[in-house]
Amino acid sequence: MGARLVVRTLSELCVTIGTLIVLLVVYVLYWTGVRADRAMDGEVDRLHEQWSTVAQPAGQSAGQSAGQPAGRPTGGPTSRPGERPAERPGGQQAGRQSGGETVPQQPSHAPGASFAVMYIPRLGSGWAKPVLQGTGTDVLKRGLGHYDRTAGLGETGNFAVAGHRRTYGDPFKDLPELRSGDAVVLTDGTTWFTYRVDGAPYRTRPDDIGVIDPVPAGSGFRGPGRYLTLTTCEPEWGHSHRLIVWAHLDATRPVTEGKPRALLS
Amino acid sequence: MYGWIWRHLPGNAWVRALISLLLVLAIVYALFQYVFPWAEPLLPFNDVTVDNGMAVNR
Repeated sequence: MGARLVVRTLSELCVTIGTLIVLLVVYVLYWTGVRADRAMDGEVDRLHEQWSTVAQPAGQSAGQSAGQPAGRPTGGPTSRPGERPAERPGGQQAGRQSGGETVPQQPSHAPGASFAVMYIPRLGSGWAKPVLQGTGTDVLKRGLGHYDRTAGLGETGNFAVAGHRRTYGDPFKDLPELRSGDAVVLTDGTTWFTYRVDGAPYRTRPDDIGVIDPVPAGSGFRGPGRYLTLTTCEPEWGHSHRLIVWAHLDATRPVTEGKPRALLS
Repeated sequence: MYGWIWRHLPGNAWVRALISLLLVLAIVYALFQYVFPWAEPLLPFNDVTVDNGMAVNR
C-alpha cells in the first residue's frame, strides 16, 4: 500500500515536471516571439505616427502616403520625391558624405524609448525593427537596443546596436548571412542612413567591449568615421561568444526624397 | 496527488472536470505571465551585448 502511494506520487511528479518543461519550451520558443513581434510592430507604428504628426505642421500637407509602394511598412512620413526639405535643421546634406561635415546633434533619447527603425534587406524585405535606447533586458524584449554612450545615428563614432539572436522575435537570427556591401538602412524620421557592411561577421568574447569603441577594435577601420556595430549572441542558442557585424555610413538622404535605393530593389 | 485533488473537488464528475480545466488554465496563465518571465533571463538567450547590458565605466 505504502509503496504504491510512493510510486504513484513519484510518477505524477515526473509527469508534472515534464509538462512544465514542455510549457517552458513553448514559452521560450514561441510565446516570447509572439509578444516581441507585437511589441516591435507597435513601436514601429508609433514611430511612424509620431514622425508623421511632427512632419505635418512643417509644410507637409494632407493626403500623405498616397503613392507609397505597397507591401511594406511606410518609411517615415511622406516619401514624395522632389520635395525640398526647407524646414530641415541646418548642416545636413543629402547624398554621399565621407566624414568631415557636421551632422546635427541627435537629441538624447529617453531610456527604453524607440527613436529609429532599422531595415536590413538581406534579412528579408519585410525585416523592419525598432531601435530603442539602452541594452537592458526589458528594452531588448521590445526591439533592438542602442548602447548607451555610443555615438548617435549617423554621427561620427560608433552607433552600436544589440539584438536577440534567438527568442523574442529572433531579430538577429540570420545575422551571419550578412556579407560585405550589404545595406543596413536606418531612419530617424527625417533622414535615411544607409550603412554598408564591412567584412564577414566577427566572432569574439563576451567581454570584448573594444568592438563598440568609436573606432572598433578588430574591425579593420583605421581612422575615425561614422560606423555601425551590430552585436548578438554566438552560438545561436548559447552565450559563450558574441557575433559582431560592422558597417560604415555610405549615404544619407532626407525622407522627403523617398526611400534609398537599397530598399527599393 | 491528482487523485487527491479530484476527490476534494465538489460536485459530480462533469463539474469536477470543468473545475479541473479552469484550474489548469489558471496555472498555465500564471506560469506564462509570472513564472516563466522570471525564469527566462536565467537561460543564456539574453546575452547579446558585449558589455553585459551595462554601461561600462572606463
